[in-house]
Amino acid sequence: MIGAVLVGVFGVMGALLRFAVDSWFAHHSSTRSIRTGRGKQKLHWPWATLLVNVAGCFIIGLSHGAAAGLELGPDWQAGLSAGLAGGLTTFSSWTTATVRLIAESRVGAAALNIAVNLVLGFAAAAAGIALTA
Amino acid sequence: MGPAPAWRAWLAVSAGGLVGSELRYGLALAFPDQPASLPWATLCINVAGSFVLAALTTAWMARPRTAFWLRAGLGPGLLGSFTTFSAVVFAVDQLARAGQHTVWIAYLALSLLLGLAAAAAGWRLGKRLTRQPVDTVSGGRP
Repeated sequence: MIGAVLVGVFGVMGALLRFAVDSWFAHHSSTRSIRTGRGKQKLHWPWATLLVNVAGCFIIGLSHGAAAGLELGPDWQAGLSAGLAGGLTTFSSWTTATVRLIAESRVGAAALNIAVNLVLGFAAAAAGIALTA
Repeated sequence: MGPAPAWRAWLAVSAGGLVGSELRYGLALAFPDQPASLPWATLCINVAGSFVLAALTTAWMARPRTAFWLRAGLGPGLLGSFTTFSAVVFAVDQLARAGQHTVWIAYLALSLLLGLAAAAAGWRLGKRLTRQPVDTVSGGRP
């Protein structure tokens, strides 16, 4: 029961944090494209999703290590891993953004999106585990 | 995109985030991962979420007047929180450390292939569902 409450609270925090990062990047990229003024080419790339996914992988690694080494209870571990890390990271935006890049014939950018999320995600999770182990 | 999101969008993201996280947590409890086997619950969640988000994304591209709070609540809120990247990465890491090489490779490959295929199918469906009404009702919109 406590676990479900913590997952809910931390899940909402993760979602709000992700939405804040999304909004910041959406605003930032729109002002930048106006400043450069090189036609109306949209050079969007899902930076926001990369950032939250890597951060979430670090958090899930930390929470796993903390549960093993620092006696973090199972309810709090669920809150941090399923709630915060699960709510912060997103799989659907990652795949949808990749398909969008492919639909715009930006296959290289799509492949890069897949590779960079995975490589940095695994590195961040391993770093989180190593830090708390 | 537009200016900074209004409070309504943040409230919708909170509500969507709550429902999405609890749904994912509930499914994980109902269908717990078996040791040395694929995390099926997470795989199904991510594939289903990819399909629905891609369908909604193309539908909203065709209908940009859809309320921003509704898009935020369903997209980044509900589906963003329902699906998870960290659980996939962490499970693959743990399976690899346990020497379950066939399992982690299969899980990673299935997540990628089915997730991308679902998003591509949703992308097409959203386009197909919204094209006809937009064309017949308001023909001249670019």
